[in-house]
Order: sequence, then structure tokens, then C-alpha cells
Amino acid sequence: MRRLHQISVNGETVEVVSETRDTLLDLLRDRLGLTGTKEGCGNGNCGACTVLLDGEPVNSCLILAVELTDQAVVTIEGLAKPPALHPLQQAIIDWGGTQCGFCTPGVVMSASVLLGRKGHLSEEEIRRALAGNLCRCTGYDKIVKAVASVLAAVPGEGS
Amino acid sequence: MSSAAGALNVVGKRVPRVDAKERVTGHAIYPADFSLPSMLHGRIKRSPHAHARLIRVDVSKALALKGVRAAVTGEDFLDLPIDAKAQVGEGGADMWYIARMNMAKDKVLWIGHPVAAVAADDPHIAEAALALIEVEYEVLTPVMTLDEAMRPDAPVLHDHCFTKGIEPRPQRPSNIGARTLLARGDVQQGFAEADVVVERRVTIDTVHQGYIEPNAALAQVEPSGLTRVWASTQGAFTLEIQLAVILGKPQSLLKVIPLEIGGGFGGKIYAHIEPAAVKLAEKAGRPVKIVLSREEVMLGTGPSPAAQIEVKVGAKRDGRLTAIQGRFLFDAGAFPGVGTTLQMQACANLYQCPHLKLEGFDVCTNKPRAEAYRGPGGTQTAFAVEQAMDELAERLNLDPLEFRDRNASVTGSPMVVGTPFPTIGLTTILDRVREHPCWRDPLPAGRFPRGRGLALGYWRGTSMTSACHIALTGDGRVMATIGAVDIAGTRTSMAQVVAEEFGIDLADVYVQTGDTKSVGFTQLSAGSRVTRTMAAAVHEACQDAIGQLKKRAAEQLQCSPEEIAYAEREFRSMRAGGASISLQSLARATMLDGAIVGRGVSTRLPLGVEIGAHVCDVEVDPHTGQVTVLRYTAFQDVGRAVNPPSVEGQIQGSVAQGLGWALTEYFDYAADGWLRNASLLDYRIPTALDLPAIDCVIIETPVPDVPYGLRGVGEVPIVPVGAAIANAIARATGRRQSAMPMTPERVLRSLRGSEFGKI
Amino acid sequence: MIEFEYSVPSDLDEAIALLSSPGARVLAGGTDLVVQMRERRREVRHVIDVKRLSELNRLEQEADGSIRLGAAMSATALGRHHALREFPAIVQAAQMIGSYQIQNRATLGGNICNAAPSADSVPPLICHGAQAEIAGPAGRRRIALESLFVGPGRTCLSPQEILVSIKLPAPPARSAGSYLRFTPRREMDIAVAGAGAWLHLDDRGNVIDGRVALAAVGPTPLRAARAETCMRGERLTAALVEEAAKLAVHDARPISDTRGSAEYRLELTRTLTRRALLNCGRALGLMESQ
Repeated sequence: MRRLHQISVNGETVEVVSETRDTLLDLLRDRLGLTGTKEGCGNGNCGACTVLLDGEPVNSCLILAVELTDQAVVTIEGLAKPPALHPLQQAIIDWGGTQCGFCTPGVVMSASVLLGRKGHLSEEEIRRALAGNLCRCTGYDKIVKAVASVLAAVPGEGS
Repeated sequence: MSSAAGALNVVGKRVPRVDAKERVTGHAIYPADFSLPSMLHGRIKRSPHAHARLIRVDVSKALALKGVRAAVTGEDFLDLPIDAKAQVGEGGADMWYIARMNMAKDKVLWIGHPVAAVAADDPHIAEAALALIEVEYEVLTPVMTLDEAMRPDAPVLHDHCFTKGIEPRPQRPSNIGARTLLARGDVQQGFAEADVVVERRVTIDTVHQGYIEPNAALAQVEPSGLTRVWASTQGAFTLEIQLAVILGKPQSLLKVIPLEIGGGFGGKIYAHIEPAAVKLAEKAGRPVKIVLSREEVMLGTGPSPAAQIEVKVGAKRDGRLTAIQGRFLFDAGAFPGVGTTLQMQACANLYQCPHLKLEGFDVCTNKPRAEAYRGPGGTQTAFAVEQAMDELAERLNLDPLEFRDRNASVTGSPMVVGTPFPTIGLTTILDRVREHPCWRDPLPAGRFPRGRGLALGYWRGTSMTSACHIALTGDGRVMATIGAVDIAGTRTSMAQVVAEEFGIDLADVYVQTGDTKSVGFTQLSAGSRVTRTMAAAVHEACQDAIGQLKKRAAEQLQCSPEEIAYAEREFRSMRAGGASISLQSLARATMLDGAIVGRGVSTRLPLGVEIGAHVCDVEVDPHTGQVTVLRYTAFQDVGRAVNPPSVEGQIQGSVAQGLGWALTEYFDYAADGWLRNASLLDYRIPTALDLPAIDCVIIETPVPDVPYGLRGVGEVPIVPVGAAIANAIARATGRRQSAMPMTPERVLRSLRGSEFGKI
Repeated sequence: MIEFEYSVPSDLDEAIALLSSPGARVLAGGTDLVVQMRERRREVRHVIDVKRLSELNRLEQEADGSIRLGAAMSATALGRHHALREFPAIVQAAQMIGSYQIQNRATLGGNICNAAPSADSVPPLICHGAQAEIAGPAGRRRIALESLFVGPGRTCLSPQEILVSIKLPAPPARSAGSYLRFTPRREMDIAVAGAGAWLHLDDRGNVIDGRVALAAVGPTPLRAARAETCMRGERLTAALVEEAAKLAVHDARPISDTRGSAEYRLELTRTLTRRALLNCGRALGLMESQ
């Protein structure tokens, strides 16, 4: 069954026709053409579908499209205004933290909220924040180093 | 040819990947992201039985559902001759098997075997249509284990399977595809001469490559018959060949366009969905996209084979090996064809030993057909042999590193098959381990028992053939079209090679991956071959282009081409008082004189074997069996690292996969063939919190006579991981692990023995 | 998944009425339900979204120190709420439900009503004396949380009943709880076994009351009654803890499945119970770090 939604995506209110059975992930990818967010497992175990919902990372494959009203959705496409890059995006490039790239948007979205956290984050805490994002190519090493480098550079919050 | 001598400006430098921006912004396009107008969504119906005769498939109700546009079954596919073959993978493939793997005819051979496919306007409709397909099966007894499969009275999966490699040829078909024997000397004598003999029997479960991107493809068939397939594949050309054979299409009507691939590791070489997508597109007259669910990835693609291995090794008191014997059974799944030769060689090649007997079998069972996974089979054989060697060292009271050193193969040593080793650096690697803090630092005490493990790994990638062409842009910049799919950062490393060859900046180079109709035939991105063979092809193409440019420069500078030298972006006449012209100026001045196109092909490059040594520290919780990896260091000889961060990334990713394989990943099959853990919840890929930092020590022993001296890199780093962990656990607990993965439950069982579960 | 209707009731009575439609199911965070719908393990024809029901989405603190946790509060929201600082074991357990992405959506009510024997929030809630507050067509009722579970995936809620909140009594002085579970990976896994413990001691280190609740070793979360009985009135020592841990094993009734064998679960029950009790002891200033 089709329905018309108004939802907030990447800072803009858009109207979109979705199918009742769509998840938020389906809606973003198939109905809005925002294919930066990926589907890796369909049941909330890989994090490739991570988006921000009212500023918090969530698995968009576990949210029904119909559930959205006025919550703000931010996808990888909306994290930085092109051609600028978010510091995490730049750090992952600089540190070599992306290979096949499939997990990368989800990783960036999960890590992006760490910049808002107060205080020093240990390596373990960084890894815990990324534990919901599976990567099969990098072994996480360069991703963790990239995230740590950005956190260390944040004035007044690094060690 | 450039090799170790002479400073390099771009090759060997730490440069960011040229395609990284697309990845971090979500702009990289994988097939699931790619759509065409009027596109349909395809879904595959799969067998719920592990072994059954396929009696009838009725798609009529599915076709009657509003929005369903086409359906296909086995009857829509050719009945290939039983000996149909094609050049796919590292060796020929039996296309009769591959075709039937993609769509069953007559028989289903594993739970997940495709029996039909539908295409509909919307993914939800396609899913609903699957439930309307009626299939009638005559259920047969499944064969789920190696022991069951090898019994003389076992149900036979293929009536035409007569074991190869046995004399005389068997009279009756069986589930054993082939037997391979590698031997030298006399192992009986060798064991008689030994002072210590160790025997070890191990099992390794089926694991999956675990690529995060599920298989996806989009197929479009024009009314003329021209067929385009946008695929996530490790080999556009090899996929095209498979399609040509399975679909009976001439390759002049086929075009495979490789898009970005979200991980393959050997599992995206064979077609699993593309033939169905093409057939549906043909029938519907509209493009069809098929994207597998994760469950389908687990059920419907090609995991790494389970194995049962028995090894026996003997040595004299001074540590010198006298005999290595092994019996290796590999679980091929539904269709035979798992190689055993390379795998058996791999576990023994690094050791000089006079007497050897290695016997390998590939055995069919009712599981998905086993496919390649990073150094296929090498991890399994290493798990057996590297543990046995470690145990031998312990029994001889020798340091495990010294034991390896005493028996180490060096340049010129005979390999298992007798060929002398080309230039290798195993002893250099061992020296580096010996002086490294990961080996020298004492293992700090912790809350629970701790141990340090060492294991070696060997892999021999392949060369095959790679092609590329180079063209000059009108403003003197350079573009390269390479025939290999990028799975390891090839676009970046080849851009570095081009920049090096032309002496220009990386920013002045554009590298693209061609499709099957825009670049010369190139074999698959696998077998550790892409960077090194493509570098050779790129090198040749660059030199070809530079040669053509020299002719143009000679005309401009009024001398002969032999009098032109090219260096630092300038073509200089070597005549006295000779003038020069820059690359850019030359390109602009002569643009209308015709394109400069350089051609490069690399075929059968000399062997660049991969060798690694891994050291890890673990802590074992004696009450739960959980193993924590405290420290991991991988030493590897890469010949030369074109792009060190990429090389490190390959090593770290392989080690991470190896750790999952070692500790938590396995296919949990029920007796009836049902895969109980077909999701990423219960198929446990390590998370960031499960892994330590992975340190890499890169050693460079270049391969002579190969551009830049490159070795393969991407496979060997997975090979020794399971064994390194097993050896560390043994040092921590005094118990050897005979099954991989070494799950917490299995480790605790080994510690508690007969007391396990008794409180 | 199959086609479904979707409703967002604005009050509990409306929600209860909507639950009378065939195939109706409450949706809170969706981290279990959406998966089940997609995998067709549950055929849901009518999704009743309770995220707008104020009573399910707030935390109330009573004058007597007891608190009421709204069933649709997310694990993250609970973890951040200052009132839960008195209940660190519950916060810890809520954080074990999954990754940060999962915690931002998963709810206590969902974790409870999904009724998996391995549900991580349940044992520590039981140990703290939690009561389930339920609303239905016949009105409200309140039961001990452990009485809610009748079998794997099944609660005693009638089709039109909704779990509204969890009531937790104020923790007495000199009490502490701990929940430990075992998973092969450090994150993202379902518990192979879990043990929640809670001790209330007098000023001489004797056990006034002790509770042990086990996850994933029976068809429902289990109270380890024998373990609890052996501790009551005794001095808290390592030997007492060991005895309780052994007795907890006798209360466990695990099966073998893809996540572990029954024997392994017995081993884990003993280890986790021991360690959870030792954690409680340490939090109360007794027991050396081990």
C-alpha cells in the first residue's frame, strides 16, 4: 500500500511516496535515491545502514518508514556540505581506514556522534562505539586510529 | 625494469587512495545502488531440502500476481554437456556444475539451491511471489559430513562423478571428486629415523568470506540480444565467460561492467545470481536487479570448505625434520572441484624435509559448493601442520622460532613438488621476528593464563594475464584503463606506477577499471595477482606510450627517436646543444596528429611467493574458555610495498578474518542440512571490540625480473592466524585445540575434559 | 513481510482497543519486532506504535524512593537518566542489549515482552524486585516480573494487554546488584547464559536477602531459589558464594542449541553466578578483588 510522507532528511523536509512495508532504509535508498546508506544484513547486526535519527545513530533497517513523523534523519549524504568533508571523513582517507568502502558510511555516521561527547575516549571506548559496525576489510585498526586522531584534535577534549 | 635499485618517487610512498573520497561520502556505486528506468526486482526461490529430486516447478500462480513480470526455472536454462568447461578461477571450471548451481535441474543438492526466480515491479511483490511458486520434491537422504559422504554405501550426489587420481579408475560413482598425492622419499623411513614423532588430527568448520556487501547484479537485455550486466564481481571477464557458457550467448553480445565491489575475498568469482537476472530480463523485456539478503548470502553462495586433517611429523633431537605426512579431506559441498594440491604444498613448503607424503581428497556433501577464501585451503592445512610443528618444538625443548629456522627453506631449496624456490626471504622474516619486541618482550602476567604463539604461513598466488592501455590527454596528463577489478586499492597503486613511470604527480594520473568491451582480457582479481601483474602491464603500456611520444618529440626536435631521452617530464634531444620539449607541450602540440595509446599485457609473471610469520599473545579465561587476543604482530615479505597503507590494510584485514575463523565463525549445520546460523547475529564476525590493534612488519625481498619486484600480498596473512592462536592457547593452557574455530565452549571442553558440564 | 495497518494511539485506552484487531502487535523500538516481521517469524497485520503514549515514555520517581520505568523508554534513555544511578546493574544490562544503534531504539518493554529466555534486562530487574504494571480491557494489574514469562517468546499478557511500566522499589541501604552474561563476542551477541545477582547485607556482613536470576538456561528467566536460600542469614564469604553458584546450577534447566550446549550453559551458570555475587560483595566493600 502506498502512502505519502513528509519527513525531514538532511535538514530538508521532503515529500515521498513509500510502501507501507518499507523500512526507513528502503525509503532512503529506493524511494529517495539516497544510496549512500547500505543494506548489509537486514537485521540490525552489521551497522551498514546506520543513520542519525534526532542526532543518535540507529539501524535504519529496523525502523519502519511509517514510524517517521518529524524526527530529523541525517544520512551520510547530509553529514557535510559538499565539497567539504567532515573531519572524520578526511581522517579515514588520511589513515587508510577504507578499502571496499561498503561499511564506511555507517562507520562514519556511528563515529560522528563521538565528537559531541565530553572527555577523553579510550581506544576501548572508541571500539565499543564502533562495535555495531562490522568491517571485513580493514580489521578496524586504521578506522580506530582515524577516529582517535580526530578526537585528539578536538580542542579541550582530547588528552 | 625498475626494481630495488634507484630511488622511487611515488611507488612506495604512503599516499591516500585515489577513490577514498567516494567511499567516505557514500558516493561509491555498488550494483545495489545502481538503477535503470523501468527496472524490475528479482528474487530467487530456494530449495528447503538438502538432497531431493526436483519433480515439478509451477510458477503459474506467481505469474498471476499483479506486478510480477517474469519467472524462470531450470527449464529455461540450457542443458550443458557434462564435460562443458571454461577458464574461470585459478584453473578450469566444470560449467555443468556451475550452471546447475545457478538453477537446479532434476536435482537439488543443498538447502538454498535455486529452483526458480521471479521479477516484479517492487521488491515486496517479488517476495510475495516466491510464496506462490509451487515446487514438488522427492526427498532423498542428505549427506552432511565427510564421514557420511565417504562411506561405500553413501547416497551419491552425482552419478557421473568417478574419483580422479585413483588407479584403476573406480567402477562406481562416489562423492569423492579427486584424490591427489604429493610424495618424495619414504615417510616410513623418515619416521623410523625420527627421535620424536607428533600426530595431530584436526577438524575445521565451514566458514564464509563474510563480505559486508551482499551479492548484487543488474541485467539488461536489449531487443537485439545485447546483454549488459552491472555486477559486483572479482572478474568481469570471467563472469562474462560463465554467462556465455551458461546462457549459450556469444561474447560479442555480452558486456559485463564491474561496479564497486563491497568485499569478495574469493567468494565473488563464480556467478550466483547473474544468469537468473539475465534470463529474467530477457523474458520481461526490462532490466532486472537481484540483490541477495544476508540469509541468501549464507545459503546461496560459496563458503570456504570444512576439512578433516591428520598430520604426522617427525624430527631428530637436533630439531631437523625427517618426515611430514598428511591426509587432508576437504568438504567440497554440492559440486566437486576443491583443489588440494596447492593447499598441501602450502603447509609443507617452508620446511626442508627429505620425506613427504601428502594425500588430499575433495569430497561432496549436501552443502553449498565450496569456493575460494583468501589463500583457499591454506588456513586449514596450516592449522594442522603449524600446530604439529609447534608441538614438535615443545617436545624437543626447542624455541619454536629456532625450530623453524633450523628447517627453513631458502632461495633454491626444493619445494614440495621439487622445483627450486625462487628468491625468498623466510630467514629474513624469522630474523626480524627474533629481534622484535613482540617476541622479546616477556608476556606480562594477567588475571588468567596467558601464552604466546608463533605460526608461519605460505601461499603462492597466481599470475595469469592482465591487460591495460594508457592514453594521453590533450593537456599532457595520463589516463590508464586497467582490466582488473579493484579489490585491494589497485586504482591507487597503478596510479602510483603510472606517475612513477612518467615522472609526474599522482594528481596528473587518472586510472579507471574497464569493462569487458573497453579493455583487453584480464583474469580475475584474486590469487594475490592484481597489483603485481597489473603493475607489469602498466609498466609495459607506459613504456610503449613513452616510445610513441619519443617519436613525436624527435619530429618536434628534429632528431631521431634514438637520440631522445625522457626524464623529469622533459623529452630532451641528446645532440650537442639539443633542445627539449615538456610532456605537456608535446601533447598539446601534437594532439591532432593522433592519439597516443600505449598497450601493456602481463602474462605468467615469475612466481612471487608470499611468506608470513605471525606472533600473538592470548589470555584464556579458564572458567568460560573465552580467548582474548592481547597482541598481534604479522610479519610479511611483500617484495616491495607499492602503497604501504594498502599493504598494511590487506594484512590487517586478513588477520581480522583469520581471528574470526580462529575463534568464533562457523556454519552450524543441523543433521538435515539446515543452516542454523544463517544471519550475522549467530554467524559471528569479529567486531571492533573483539580485536586488538594489528601490528604489521613489512619486509621487502624483491622478486627479480618482475617490475618493482612485487610479490602477492593479500592472501598469506590469513593463513597462519588460526595456528598462531592455537599455539598461543596451547602455551597458555597446556592443551591443544583439535577443532577450529576454537570457540569458548570448545576451549573450555578441552580444559575440563570429562568433568565438563558436571558440577 | 506481509501488508499491515499502522496506528499511533494517543492514549492507553485507544491502544488497548486497537489491540483487539487480528494480528495486532505492539511496536516500541522495533529491534525485535521489525526483524521478526521481515523474516516472517511473526505475521503482524496491525502495528500499534506505543511511542506516543506518555505513560510508557517517562520515568517517575516516587516519594518512597521507588521508581517507575516507562516500558517504551529506550535503553539509552534509561542509561542516561539520573534516577538509574541507584541501579547500575540495570543500566549495565540495558547496555548489553546491543550496539549503540540498538540501544538508541530498543526498549525495556520490548526486551521483556519479546520474552526471549536470554533477555538481558530481565535478570537484574527480577533481582531488584521489579513488578510489571499492565493495562488491559479489564483495567490495571501489577505482578512480579518473573511471573510474566510462561515460555520461550511467550508472556502471560492477554492479546489486548500492554506492559505499561516496571516498578522498582527503592534499594535498601547496603544492597548491590550485578548482572553478567557470557557471549562469544564482546558485543552484538545473544547471551549463551546470564546471571543476575543481588545482595542485601546487614552491618556485620551477613546476608539479609540474596537473589539470583538466570537467563538463557531455561524456557523463561529463572530464579535460582536454592542458591538464594543457602545464602539467607549466612555470612558473605567466598565459600558461601561458591556454594550458591553450585546450587544455581541445579536450578538451571538449559537446552542445547546453536549458541551452546546444555553442559556449557551449566558451566557458565556456575561461573557467572559466582562472579556476579562477588561483584555484589565488592560493591559492598567486602571481598578482595579477585
